[in-house]
Amino acid sequence: MLVLFLVFRLLPVVGALLLSLTDYRLSGTWDFIAFDNYTRLLSDGMFHQALLVTLIYTVIFVPLTVLLSLGTAVLLHQVVWSRGFFRGVFFLPYVTSIVLAAVIWKWIYDAQDGLLNGVLGLVSIGPVDFLGQSGSVLPSIAVTSAWKGFGYSMLILLAGLQAVPKSYLEAAMIDGAGTWQRFRYITLPQLRPVLFFVLVIETIGAFQVFDAMYVMTGGGPVRSSYSLVYFLYDSGFKYFDFGYASAIGLVLFLIVLIVSLIQRRLVGRDD
Amino acid sequence: MVNLLERPAVQEVTETPVAGRRPVAQLTLPTLLTLTAIVTIAPFAAMVLVAFAPPGGRTFPDALDPTHFTFANFSRVLASSDIPRWTVNSLLYSLISVACVLLFASMAGYAFAKKKFPGREIMFWAFLATLMVPFQATLIPSYILVSNLNWVDSYWGLIVPTLANSQAVFLMRQFIIQLPDELFEDAEIDGAAEWRIFTMIVLPLIRPVLATLGIFVFLWHWNDFLWPLVIGQSGRMQTLTVGLATLQSQSPPINQLMAGATITVVPSLLVFGLLQRYLTDSITMSGLKA
Repeated sequence: MLVLFLVFRLLPVVGALLLSLTDYRLSGTWDFIAFDNYTRLLSDGMFHQALLVTLIYTVIFVPLTVLLSLGTAVLLHQVVWSRGFFRGVFFLPYVTSIVLAAVIWKWIYDAQDGLLNGVLGLVSIGPVDFLGQSGSVLPSIAVTSAWKGFGYSMLILLAGLQAVPKSYLEAAMIDGAGTWQRFRYITLPQLRPVLFFVLVIETIGAFQVFDAMYVMTGGGPVRSSYSLVYFLYDSGFKYFDFGYASAIGLVLFLIVLIVSLIQRRLVGRDD
Repeated sequence: MVNLLERPAVQEVTETPVAGRRPVAQLTLPTLLTLTAIVTIAPFAAMVLVAFAPPGGRTFPDALDPTHFTFANFSRVLASSDIPRWTVNSLLYSLISVACVLLFASMAGYAFAKKKFPGREIMFWAFLATLMVPFQATLIPSYILVSNLNWVDSYWGLIVPTLANSQAVFLMRQFIIQLPDELFEDAEIDGAAEWRIFTMIVLPLIRPVLATLGIFVFLWHWNDFLWPLVIGQSGRMQTLTVGLATLQSQSPPINQLMAGATITVVPSLLVFGLLQRYLTDSITMSGLKA
């Protein structure tokens, strides 16, 4: 176990750091080039594009998925009867792979033959080429990922809702607070740490987006869905520029680290 | 993954919702829930309907007519692709990994939780540190390592690197550390061998965690994409998840693609159907993420 861990877990972490300082190529030859990979990244238009796409995707995906999971969690919390059934339904997409979700939704979005355009056609809209336009491709992929994954955050938020002391809510009701006021001034503040956890874990997940884009668009049209991990994958396995790809990986690590640290700072201040 | 550590503790309390809602709310609630549920299920339903629809028709709305069920798409996609081979690969990848990860993680978790040995603290912190690094960041060095071992395109390369699962070790350690020390001390005083303590005392006590962790490890591997994609470069070594992406890139008729998709989802659905309770409970308790 220890050997496995050292070789396959710790070594790659150290390796990533060292590789990013070299120009390691497919042949296995390499030279130490210090921070050249990083300075190259800074002036690489493709890197800027990938970073921008990833940021835009995150900005769309995170609010979408958090609202969806919060909404369903609140709904589930209100019902007693059939809660288990609905919880199961909402959780179902979560156990499948993002590749499967992407394959189904690629067809749903299809401009000629897709389910969504079929439905829109009934009310004489469209057809819309959801995945073929740079304006709609990222929201469309974000919807797919949110559909696949919201069940997880929903469960966490539901548990959080159930932990809000009932006496607080009853006291507020006696004082004449309406449904919305109770939610806004009691439930939400109580839910804050859980909501924050969900926000951070979804943000980190969003920065690692790749599978859906690989399957649904191949990064297109014209690289408008070309994410950081896609850029990493291409640099490594299409251009075999391993040192450069490792540098991209470290940038990703830094982003994830910064998001985690911000979480710790904000939550820590609260408690 | 670091978030596992930072996840605020949540106690699940069973309770009935606050009474005294207005009648309008009592009606809109089930409607909203049902609508959301229908939208959630619709993509799956469409997939299955198209998979069983006669080949060649317009997919919408023809395929949504349930009166012409046929298995033709399944036999065609099975004949024209490597699905049986991919399924075997996926099963090997998932099941071997589950068995090994459970064994290694429980042994390492036990050692970290209850054994005193030099360097324990620093090793545990090294474990935690690797939890913070996203897998994609170590993809390239892991690949170079595997290719230097000549393991690319082999089961060794596919499976072995994924067995060092720090998240599983961490979870095990957190669970075992709560068990009372006396249990192990008594056995040691009685002169029980280390292996006997592990199999007779530790393993029976951690059975519930083994079950939930096993489900998660299975789903991680079954649904995994990036690692099998770069390791299984020849079609022969692809898993079902990667194979589905390959299948789709060849743009087969939509009925056949959806038949293939339906096949890949069966194991996940089985796990979901049989073990849903375990899954949802363990997410609520530990924040495990598949």
